[in-house]
Amino acid sequence: MIGRNGSGKTTLFRTMLGLLPPVTGEIQRKPGVQIGYVRQRLAFDDIYPVTAHEVVEMGAMRKAWSFLPWGQDSKSVRAALEEVGAAHLERREFRTLSEGQKQRVLLARMIVGRPNLALLDEPTAAMDAVAEHEAMSLLDQIRRHHNMAMIVVSHHLPVAKKWAERVLFVDSESRLVLLGTPDEVFGHEGFKARYAAAVEEGLV
Amino acid sequence: MSDRRLWRWAVAPLLLAACSPAHVMNPAAPSPTWADFVAAWPLFKEAVLAGSIAGAVLGFLGVFILVRRMVFVTATLTQASGLGVALAFYVDIHLGLGLPPIAGALLTALGASVLASLPYERLHLSRESALATLWLLCSGGAIIVGSRIAQEAHDIAGILFGSAVLVSPEDLTMVAGVGALGLILGFLGHEILVFSGFDADAARVQGVPVRIFESGLLALVTLEVAVATRAIGALPVFAFSVLPAVAALLVAPGMRWAFPIAGLFGGLSGLGGYMCAFFFDLPVGATQTAVACLLVVAMVPVRLLLRR
Repeated sequence: MIGRNGSGKTTLFRTMLGLLPPVTGEIQRKPGVQIGYVRQRLAFDDIYPVTAHEVVEMGAMRKAWSFLPWGQDSKSVRAALEEVGAAHLERREFRTLSEGQKQRVLLARMIVGRPNLALLDEPTAAMDAVAEHEAMSLLDQIRRHHNMAMIVVSHHLPVAKKWAERVLFVDSESRLVLLGTPDEVFGHEGFKARYAAAVEEGLV
Repeated sequence: MSDRRLWRWAVAPLLLAACSPAHVMNPAAPSPTWADFVAAWPLFKEAVLAGSIAGAVLGFLGVFILVRRMVFVTATLTQASGLGVALAFYVDIHLGLGLPPIAGALLTALGASVLASLPYERLHLSRESALATLWLLCSGGAIIVGSRIAQEAHDIAGILFGSAVLVSPEDLTMVAGVGALGLILGFLGHEILVFSGFDADAARVQGVPVRIFESGLLALVTLEVAVATRAIGALPVFAFSVLPAVAALLVAPGMRWAFPIAGLFGGLSGLGGYMCAFFFDLPVGATQTAVACLLVVAMVPVRLLLRR
């Protein structure tokens, strides 16, 4: 999901998550769809001394009473951390981790909830090119391994062009919504008009 | 005169005179010994137990208060409880309504927690400024009301500054009962409360009733603060709600350990503070607060060592 600042991406994203009511229309969900959500890792409050293990455990608090101290499954937490290559971080405090490590822990939290639809809010924000490539590769691997659909909000157009199967472009100012393959969306005149500078510089 | 007031004003001073260490009556007398403390135990046991239990429970709940940045809310609740106690004495003496002080504390603390939860952002008013206004209103109100109650002035001072030496058996029962409820509910819900504070949106997406848990936590803190303030005073209650959790968060290896460690530190502050007050002839609430402060200071080098 792409769009410029103030284009309505966040509003649409939060509506899809069920955190905001739709202004008009309705959100339809197939029965049995489990949603996983990964918010921007930069938005966490560092006052919490939660360990990586405790963060991942939160992802399993979906079933009734699973939040009780004796209702947790440490084995699946460790398996999820291993899958994202973060098993060695299990006992580390989340707030002391690097940005890339935090991202891995948050992905493990998503995995442990066993969603079939994952929504990720700018998972590669503030990452350098190498870290961004690693993060997107890991996401792609998780998506394939767990047969999971993913909706990713990104400001970074090359990411969308390289990794997305379908791109949703929203723009509240021109009231334009485009949905299609990256080539279809980036080739659309409406998109080019809003991203003139980026298109001219060959970013997309 | 009710049984409680009879106990407080007639029986307790006699017991105090009989059991107090000699140096309280005569500053030139030698400092009290451990034997003096044991001898005075029948008189002080309610106060020692109430301080220790309130310290442990508020220390446990204080972790939530701290990480959810509710410190100013708790400060306001303690002052509101003090105002409630003063108002209860006032209406009892001047209007003859016979409102129990604990009911006054609960009513005003509940009112303050409702006012603290209002959406001030709609008025473009920061929550801090709204809470500061409430805190000042309650603090000033308690002193003004207290100045109109000559008969209970000592008790009012005890409630506001935490210098109450004695606690009635009824107040101890309330502190213990509400404390047990707070610990049980806090233990059962601590994982989900941490989750909903750490990442409220993700918790909502996963179907956690965040609003219900948050309201429940505020109600629990309000109840605990009101009951404890009536028994041991506003200053130590506020101290127990913040300082043991600060010390615990400095050294706890993860969130899960922060709760029992804070409870332990809170209990130690209540017990140790009372003992220090006894042996060095100091005001109880202020000494309990000082002991809790010392625990925080002592945990700083431990934190630095753990980080290396």
